[in-house]
Amino acid sequence: MEVFDYIRLGILAVFQGPEVLSVFGISISITVLMIVAGFLLGIAVGATPGLAGPMAMAISLPILISAFGYHTDALLPVMGFLIGIMKGATVGGAVPAILFNTPGTPDAFITTLDGYPMAQKGQAKKALRVAHLSSASGDTFSDLVLFVCAPFLAIVVERFLDLPEKTGLIILSLSFIAAVIGGSVAKGLISTGLGLLAVYIGTGEDFYPRLSMDTQELSQGFPITTSVLGVLIIGAVFMGLEELWSQKHQSGKIEQAKDRGDQRLRWPEIKRLLPFIGRSAVIGTAIGALPGIGSTLAATLGHTLGKSTYDKKKAKDAPGFGEGVPEGVAATEAANSSVSGANLIPVLSLGIPGNAAAVFLILAAESLGGLNPGPSVFRFTTDSVNPELVAVFGLFTCMVIANLCNWTIGGVFMRTMGVMIRIPKQLLLPSVLLVTLTAIYVQETRIEALWFALGFGVLGYLMRKLGISPLPFVIAFILGGKLEETARQAFSATGNDPFFLFTSPIAAAFIVMSIAVIVWGARRGAK
Amino acid sequence: MKKPVRANLYLGLVCVLFAVLTLTVWIPLDVKSGILEKVRGRMSIGDALAPTVAASFILLGGFLLVLFERKASDQPALTLKPTLFIGRLVLLFAVAILLMRLLGPWTVAFTNLFAAEPQEYRLLRVYFPWKYIGFVSGGLLLVAGVITLVERRFTWRAVLTGVLVVMLMILFYDLPFDDLLLPPNGDV
Repeated sequence: MEVFDYIRLGILAVFQGPEVLSVFGISISITVLMIVAGFLLGIAVGATPGLAGPMAMAISLPILISAFGYHTDALLPVMGFLIGIMKGATVGGAVPAILFNTPGTPDAFITTLDGYPMAQKGQAKKALRVAHLSSASGDTFSDLVLFVCAPFLAIVVERFLDLPEKTGLIILSLSFIAAVIGGSVAKGLISTGLGLLAVYIGTGEDFYPRLSMDTQELSQGFPITTSVLGVLIIGAVFMGLEELWSQKHQSGKIEQAKDRGDQRLRWPEIKRLLPFIGRSAVIGTAIGALPGIGSTLAATLGHTLGKSTYDKKKAKDAPGFGEGVPEGVAATEAANSSVSGANLIPVLSLGIPGNAAAVFLILAAESLGGLNPGPSVFRFTTDSVNPELVAVFGLFTCMVIANLCNWTIGGVFMRTMGVMIRIPKQLLLPSVLLVTLTAIYVQETRIEALWFALGFGVLGYLMRKLGISPLPFVIAFILGGKLEETARQAFSATGNDPFFLFTSPIAAAFIVMSIAVIVWGARRGAK
Repeated sequence: MKKPVRANLYLGLVCVLFAVLTLTVWIPLDVKSGILEKVRGRMSIGDALAPTVAASFILLGGFLLVLFERKASDQPALTLKPTLFIGRLVLLFAVAILLMRLLGPWTVAFTNLFAAEPQEYRLLRVYFPWKYIGFVSGGLLLVAGVITLVERRFTWRAVLTGVLVVMLMILFYDLPFDDLLLPPNGDV
């Protein structure tokens, strides 16, 4: 078996699956249909304020497994559907962030920084066009890198990152996010600390669930959906409702943004955006290839680096990043979308997810069989067929099909989503509250989850009111468990060395960089 | 002369106090293993280390806020009226959750007063209309109530929006899937 034989078998596995329908004599396989269906659902979910891709994946997975059964033939249709949702939601996720300032995902939060001000200035459709172009470009670039480099990068990443280095890397990512998001390192650290504390409640290795105050409710810990959706969505909805209430209080009417100026994206503008898209696509792809770090850091880095480039070139009186410039949307969307492809490098080769969407891909692979994420996946056997490698090339084919959908249906759909801004916000935001509560309950099926969501919503609102970014909280909540687990393993693997973070040069470098970034942030804040 | 805003100073002090209490009271009293533990002759990381690191982040952030950012120019200003609005919003939210949780079982208990054979909500929760009583009433109150609160007047449009969203949720989750449960049917 040569490399091209594996690629051919992977493509055939997608197109020659069971036929469900025929269009002009061309057979459409179940896998292709599932990818398109997943992609459409993903855009719809991503574009609906308050909903997000991982939520749809979480709800779809048990339904898909029930429908297709537990066997390897189900792998490509199910994974194709999930990949479709992942990609559709990535591109669609910019819609609520731009139109309603209600990000469905942590990385879409960065999109709100420039996207929402653009919408407020009457440039909503243009912002959506920029987001789609950047998102589709970044996603396609990242997928191409994945296809070409996956086997090599997987080996390199695994060789240089052992347990102490992985612990150091997570600490670095938390420190970086605390230092750069929100403009105040002190508030970033508080947000990170609160996120870590929240995830450690009701967990641990001891028989007694720590910090649970001996209560049944806290002993199971806070479900990830309640904290993420509570702080990010319910908190944002509370803030939005308060703004609407204040508008009504002051002027007696609630303002609606109207389209102003040319909403189309002209070639000179595209040319101006391309360097931002290209740089962010490279950043997002590089970040995505690192295990354990998701799209939020990529979006943050893309936005930060884009800002520094933009600030050097902008005219004195031109608006800056954060004031509604297309470059800000492009830099963020290209970065976070280019994570999804490269993110499958650690997912497929190491079994480590970089974001919430990847968690569900791993869950699907483990549930269905036929693909056990790990080093054996990329083994090019020549004397016999490695079925896992065929499945991997099948997944790559699914990604290409989803990308084609993205360039075609994605653009059209996003443009139609522009009409959503006409829906009165005072009707939409309360509806988002109920949708979010229902989605949380459907996943957790206990009423405590709704109380937790309310509590996290209030926390998210207070954080926003006090100028504390909720994003470090969410990232810390997601990475907190992994940080503790990796540290425990590293401690054990290094023979109980309490200085394991400083004995490895790479881990020590990560820690030094963590301290440096905090000191830099503190000095910047002091000025 | 304009009174200086001290939100960062107060926030920093609250964070320092919270972190110190967490490190000296909450963690020692509510975590059963230490920072490092000896299990069967081998050292391992105990359950207290991770929350200690978390509290240290909050402590450091609080100190930085007090020491370096207490005079920052972009400090938030909390005012009473919006806080009261959020208080009312949270209260409405809480009543809606309670309604979702309790109205179904209460309705069954009420009908039992007139029934020859008493019924349990747990056995009726798969049947129409019982399974929707809590969700419809709580959901409707939440959506219509919040709209009314924001608009400062009652409108039938608010009620209609509530009905529409509740119906969409039922259509999306409940009708196609038997294993997805609307509130409160997973609890009772």
